[in-house]
Amino acid sequence: MEDYKFLFKVVLVGNAGVGKTCLVRRFTQGLFPPGQGATIGVDFMIKTVEVENEKIKLQIWDTAGQERFRSITQSYYRSAHALILVYDISSQPTFDCLPDWLREIEEYASNKVLRILVGNKIDREDREIPTHVGEDFAQRHGMYFLETSAKEAENVERLFMEIAAELMEQARCKELPRYEQNTTSINGKTTAIGDSNSCGCSRFT
Amino acid sequence: MPTINESSLIEDNLTNDLHKLQEDEVIVNQQLDQILMRHCHVEAKLQSIRKVLPNVAVVKAETEKFRDMIHHTNILAEKVSAKVRQLDLARSRVCECQSRVNDILDLQLCCEGVATALENEDYEQGAAHVHRFLLMDQQLLEKTADDVSGDHSSVTSSLATLQQAANNLRQVVDQKFDEAVKGEDLASVERFFKIFPLLGMYNEGITKFCSYLAIKLQVTSQKNLKAALDTRITDKRASVIYADTLTLLFEGIARIIEVHQPIIETYYGPGRLLTCAGILQKECDNQVKKIVFEFMKHRAISRKVQLINEHLRKQGVEKLEPKDLDILLSELTLMHARAELYNKFLRRRVFNDIEISTTDEQHRASLKNDFETIMKNSELARSMQELLGAYLALERYFMEESINKAIGMDALDQDQQTSSMIDDTFFIVKKCVKRSISSGSIDGVCAVINMACGLLENELSSQLKSRLRQGYPAGYLDLAQAYNALQTSFQHGRIQTSDTELARLMFLAYLNNAETSIEYVETLSRNLKIDIEQAFPNMQTKEKGKIESCLAGMKNVTFTLRTVVDYGLEQLRSSAIKPRINPWVDSFLTINHEADEEEILRHETDESFVQTLVMNLDGLLQVFKNSLMESNYNALIGILTTEVTIRLEKVIFKSSFNKIGGTILDNEIRALSNYFTSSTSWTVRDKFIRLQQIATILSVDKVEDVTEFCATDSISWRLSSAEVKKILLLRTDFRQEDIKRLKI
Ligand SMILES: Nc1nc2c(ncn2[C@@H]2O[C@H](COP(=O)(O)OP(=O)(O)O)[C@@H](O)[C@H]2O)c(=O)[nH]1
Ligand SMILES: [Mg+2]
Repeated sequence: MEDYKFLFKVVLVGNAGVGKTCLVRRFTQGLFPPGQGATIGVDFMIKTVEVENEKIKLQIWDTAGQERFRSITQSYYRSAHALILVYDISSQPTFDCLPDWLREIEEYASNKVLRILVGNKIDREDREIPTHVGEDFAQRHGMYFLETSAKEAENVERLFMEIAAELMEQARCKELPRYEQNTTSINGKTTAIGDSNSCGCSRFT
Repeated sequence: MPTINESSLIEDNLTNDLHKLQEDEVIVNQQLDQILMRHCHVEAKLQSIRKVLPNVAVVKAETEKFRDMIHHTNILAEKVSAKVRQLDLARSRVCECQSRVNDILDLQLCCEGVATALENEDYEQGAAHVHRFLLMDQQLLEKTADDVSGDHSSVTSSLATLQQAANNLRQVVDQKFDEAVKGEDLASVERFFKIFPLLGMYNEGITKFCSYLAIKLQVTSQKNLKAALDTRITDKRASVIYADTLTLLFEGIARIIEVHQPIIETYYGPGRLLTCAGILQKECDNQVKKIVFEFMKHRAISRKVQLINEHLRKQGVEKLEPKDLDILLSELTLMHARAELYNKFLRRRVFNDIEISTTDEQHRASLKNDFETIMKNSELARSMQELLGAYLALERYFMEESINKAIGMDALDQDQQTSSMIDDTFFIVKKCVKRSISSGSIDGVCAVINMACGLLENELSSQLKSRLRQGYPAGYLDLAQAYNALQTSFQHGRIQTSDTELARLMFLAYLNNAETSIEYVETLSRNLKIDIEQAFPNMQTKEKGKIESCLAGMKNVTFTLRTVVDYGLEQLRSSAIKPRINPWVDSFLTINHEADEEEILRHETDESFVQTLVMNLDGLLQVFKNSLMESNYNALIGILTTEVTIRLEKVIFKSSFNKIGGTILDNEIRALSNYFTSSTSWTVRDKFIRLQQIATILSVDKVEDVTEFCATDSISWRLSSAEVKKILLLRTDFRQEDIKRLKI
């Protein structure tokens, strides 16, 4: 038996080429891959992290951005605990597509899912989307916001660690009343998450 | 003057020292004895050494002689080997010289031979001469010509002539090959194909030949596609005609490789298949594109996907009939599976060829990577991703709509414990996931599993829950009547859901549905794992991880269903159990528990409290026994037991007892416990422990007797001392002061 207390599914979405795969590789393998091809369908990585002495297993699903993979990637939204929506701060079109992605998320994901907007490639000189524009968008749509660089390892660790911490806190908030009510424990060993907002615990400040 | 005291002290010291010295002496004596004992032994050793001493000198002299001899031999050997080396060098020079002479001689021969061969259009002969010439080291030849003065001009001119001839021949063969292709002269194509490598034109040869094969592929494939388009709808392959056409294309390529790989290897050597596959793949891509285009058009894929999306967003007016998609879904998976098979075949062949062509691991890896890149960026891959996407969209719709239909047409058969939707739903889910397995795509399988989990967790569970939410209608009617009502309503072609009996039956069936679904999900998950492992025997760790993680989604489905079952049982408790058993148990209050023996004898023929209660409970359970499946029935008994024991405890505390009343209660509780134990395979005895202990206390002779129970087995003792005192107070024949004084 693997040794972890929580298991969370994190799904990355966003246009092709914004750097989803690089973000995942940077976090799971600590490298910036040179010239790997575009992702086909979905890719799958696991990393176990530790937050407040609790082992948390993150199951990270990296999806392909192109339209023709949509049926595959959509099928992963429902069971996701966190959805990371990524755009490229040096590419207006990737930002302009965000509403389309939100519509998808609305349609397929659980309404309790943790949503994070990520503006990637901040190492680039040719920025097209100012930080406050991304921030505004995130705020309007009830998402957390972070800018990253997979290339320079900026905020990547932080992104995933805070997701892990936030999800764990939500899971705990959910867990306590359940035990008090003395109903049958719903999910054996690992803990899934549900209503988070009631709890009011939030990171990403 | 030392005092007497001091002198006695000195004396003491002296005696001590003497003792010590005496002890030391004993030890020294012992050691001396030991040394003397070894004297003999040492003597003998010395003797034997003295004997061998002369031999040592002899050995030394001999060794020195031997060393000189070895040294000598060594020098000799080096001299000999130097000579041998010289000889070798001389011989190799002679050989080289000979081969150069041969080359020069052959050069002349080749030069003349090529001219004649070209004149006679004997290209094989000509190419053989050029081939011989190409094997020579031309720079060396020119140097040789320089060394052997006089002959210089003839060698140089021969070289020039041959170079010229080779170029001529190359051009001619090139041209002749093209002519042969144009004239569809297969024999000539093969003839010139074999000549290319002799002229050092490996790449040209392979490229030209494979392009020729690609043209043949194109012709056949277009013919096949045309035939497909002309197929009558009534044809028995009509529904999978595009899958058939695609299959023919892949089989065509496989056959080309099967047939030509040996010839290519014979004349060009191993390691040429990568180039060959690259060229054929390009044509394959062209043809796949055409076939998929026609497929999309004639099967109206885009329109169907659009209709589905509109339906999903509740905008559509027109609705696709899921059953009509069934065959199309099969065709889609078939096409994808064929492509996977073809991909595997090509990879295996090319990789084998790479393996034997080079031993350099790095080079191998880079060649293999080249192949993967070709395939990954191929139109074939793209088209298949496109098809898989369409398949998944349609499959999702098919599964969802079919499940909704199964739920909509739900019916309850009198001899079934579950309603029809459960078997139907799981039949559909199984069918869809199995179909996805047949596509040969791991991502496809994962997606369909995810969709199935979503539908089971949402559509199915919520349907089950919403029925259970309506509750179990109170009031009593026997179930036979309910079935009759159900029957007649079916006969009249309408279902009167308002009928209480029917609602009750449906409630129980849905409770069973939920429980059965848990079982079905577990079985399904287990079987799918086996099916997938069989269908994909060479899965990589990552792919295994994907499948495992998606199948784990099934576990979440069972968790959700479990909460539905618990919810249903809770409903039963509050509407069917509690209101009914309370008056039965409460009748305990109307009984006199302080009767004397005479009174009891008088009432012996009456039914006891427990007999009546058991009869009532039995009647109640009878209603559920046939309609609930075993695990639900057992759970129900569990609930019933809890409710009865809690209520009974409550009324006991409201009653008063004497010794006889307490003893009767003790017997009755035992009887009740036996009744419950015999009606279920689950253990319910535990729930009676408190009651039994209460009865035990109520039936003691004297107040002090209770100390015995409280003291003995404290682990299983469930009553606090306050409770024990409270219970004793129910005995009207005990004095309060005695109870208060009790130390427990
Ligand atoms: N400058 C810069 N380039 C990046 C960064 N992250 C990714 N890229 C580049 O963006 C391209 C697409 O990245 P990839 O991870 O494949 O994008 P995906 O399609 O979203 O998975 C690649 O050429 C990466 O090298 C980043 O943080 N900074
Ligand atoms: Mg990617």
